Amino acid sequence: MSVRTDPDGNETDALFELVHLEGAHVLEIGAGDGRLTWRYAHRAARVTAVEPFEASVARAKQGVQGADAAVEFHHAAFEDFAADNDPDVFDVALLSWALC
Amino acid sequence: MQPEGMVHALEQIHRLLKPAGILIEIHPAVDGPPFVEVRSNEELFFSEEDPAFDYEEDLRRAEAAVESVLERRLFALEDRRKFELRTYAASVKEMRDHWTFVGAYDPEEPEEALLRRRDEMYARAAAALDAASDVPELVYVEPAQMSRLVPLMGDRLR
Repeated sequence: MSVRTDPDGNETDALFELVHLEGAHVLEIGAGDGRLTWRYAHRAARVTAVEPFEASVARAKQGVQGADAAVEFHHAAFEDFAADNDPDVFDVALLSWALC
Repeated sequence: MQPEGMVHALEQIHRLLKPAGILIEIHPAVDGPPFVEVRSNEELFFSEEDPAFDYEEDLRRAEAAVESVLERRLFALEDRRKFELRTYAASVKEMRDHWTFVGAYDPEEPEEALLRRRDEMYARAAAALDAASDVPELVYVEPAQMSRLVPLMGDRLR
């Protein structure tokens, strides 16, 4: 048996109750290894995921290969990413276990 | 993340979101530490809090940062859910290897005494796994909350 996180779908159930992602351009901040990303990305029109740790970004890219979703992972600190991007771009921002 | 960094991150998110956008914020719940279970189907053999939980103050600062942007009317809180994020493994080794793998970049380790208490807790969990009937699983349970916030225009940073 390999380690399974949230096979019960508690996190994704809460997410889908709180927001409709269909057609949305989603910004995920602190995407980590993409654990949550690949679970919702198929619903969104596009996902831009930002993660400061390079090793996590590498694992995240492996995880979404073949997924039917437009997902871009950026290896960057969020502050730098934000400074380089225009305002009013994203429909949904997902601050995922990253505020503390 | 320092409190001013949290608030700044929320300000930047406000700037990047469209006016009708939505912020979903997820973080561990402040009202209960993570805990470890050994269970098989519906039968619970073991349940103890993670003794190395030492980031309650960080969680309170994160909640204070969210509260501050709500008070400034940068965002409005529309809805909130509590849930449990559960991670399953077949053994203590498998679970701890997993945490080492995904958390290897965490620069802040709990103090030594807390780590020793965590080792002891996992030893008791391993004994419960060995003694349990059926095919038990080790479960790490993290109480968490998810909030839906919408940007307000009054204090819009552009």
